[in-house]
Amino acid sequence: MRDSRRARLVLALLLLTAFTLITLDYRAGSGGPLRSIGNAVFGPVERAAAAVVHPVGSFFSSLGHLSSYKSTNAKLRKQNQQLREQLRLTDGERAHLSSAEKLLDLAGRAQFRIVPAQVVAVEGALGFEWTATIDAGSRDGIRSNMTVVNGDGLVGKTVHVGPTTSTVLLGRDPKFTAGARLERTNEIGHVDGGGRQPMTFTLLGSSNTMKAGDRLVSFASIANRPFVAEVPIGRIVKVLPTPGQLFRTAIVAPFVDFTAIDVVGVVVGQPRTVRRDSLLPPSPTPTPSPSSSQSAGSSSGTSAGSSPSPAPSGSG
Amino acid sequence: MRRLVATAFVLTALLVQVTIVNRLPLPDGRPDLLVVVVVALALVRGPEYGAIVGFAAGLAADVIPPADHTIGRLALAYAIVGYAAGLLEDAEERSVLATVLVVAACSAAAVVGYAGVGALIGDERVTVEALRNSLVATVIYDVVLAPFVVPVVSGAARRAEPAGYGVRP
Repeated sequence: MRDSRRARLVLALLLLTAFTLITLDYRAGSGGPLRSIGNAVFGPVERAAAAVVHPVGSFFSSLGHLSSYKSTNAKLRKQNQQLREQLRLTDGERAHLSSAEKLLDLAGRAQFRIVPAQVVAVEGALGFEWTATIDAGSRDGIRSNMTVVNGDGLVGKTVHVGPTTSTVLLGRDPKFTAGARLERTNEIGHVDGGGRQPMTFTLLGSSNTMKAGDRLVSFASIANRPFVAEVPIGRIVKVLPTPGQLFRTAIVAPFVDFTAIDVVGVVVGQPRTVRRDSLLPPSPTPTPSPSSSQSAGSSSGTSAGSSPSPAPSGSG
Repeated sequence: MRRLVATAFVLTALLVQVTIVNRLPLPDGRPDLLVVVVVALALVRGPEYGAIVGFAAGLAADVIPPADHTIGRLALAYAIVGYAAGLLEDAEERSVLATVLVVAACSAAAVVGYAGVGALIGDERVTVEALRNSLVATVIYDVVLAPFVVPVVSGAARRAEPAGYGVRP
């Protein structure tokens, strides 16, 4: 135990510094200078690391830049097709592509203008945080408090934005809250992430109408920040018995699998209105079973025929 | 040279943690690579160095995206852990079991320190449930990692010492 008086002095100084940092950052809220430095320094390194880990990463970031300039869904699909032919695809790459296609499909139906991005790193400290880094930042037009979606629905919102990367607060995080609307009854409430607990939906109203199986979509925030309307969130699996409470609460199974998010899109522009419920998957889908040939035959007439012209196209 | 080795290990641990380890589909939590590296370095170099390495590594972990908590919390936790592990520097002929126990205790201390400050400043992510979960998972996974990581890091750190430094007569 050599030099222990000096060591104790050093420790005391470091602890004092740490407490000072905590106090300063706590008072500054999010977005202090240190956080920006961290984003600027580590963001590019993470992107590079992800490119090594995930060989398709670079491919998708280039796709991202193309589509951020208001390309149409069809054009991207065509490019996707061409690239698909050029590449000899592994299983991982195939999954990657299909999630990108689903994302483009959702964004196309909603006429959202999105910046596609790939998740390069996940989860902050010691298992308490459900956050992710994506490989697109302020240079791609992303700001904090923007909606992040993937092909299945709502992923989260951006919180810290660096030059080339951004941090996304996932829907599962205990800090996450979003306005939500019940598809069937049009009643509104809010969805809260629960960390390791399930996601919950609290209905703002005393009516007793929600039931298991009801689906939830996002409810627009003021000026569409952080949340745009109509993004699918999840399905109610159980209404909790809450006797004596003002509001009713239910457990929600999110459409998005937060443990396996890969390609996401940040919504940077949206049409003035999105047709109600137009982004939810076709209605009779009890289980996503692999026997898609049957369901495709029966539902194609309803879903494909009705989609071409959603509401006014005020995108700009 | 010594600084270079320590910096390289800390940065590698940070990057591997967020880009690979956190994405592995492990049940109920993750190992915390960084605390294992900090402990391994502190065990070679003593309390003063341990505290400094811990603080620096923690500060880096505080700002590396996608971290989203008050900056300084991990720096505080790891500085204490580094100091504590450094106090055991003199324990010669340390067995594998002893090393593993030190890692287990330090992992637990890091989680509790981080969560404790979070509770003080009203972090809504810190709940009894989340703390228990994180504590159990982090300690167990770190214990599994320790026998592989500690010898590599400690060995490299020892080799990077100037000749004669740290060698007991």
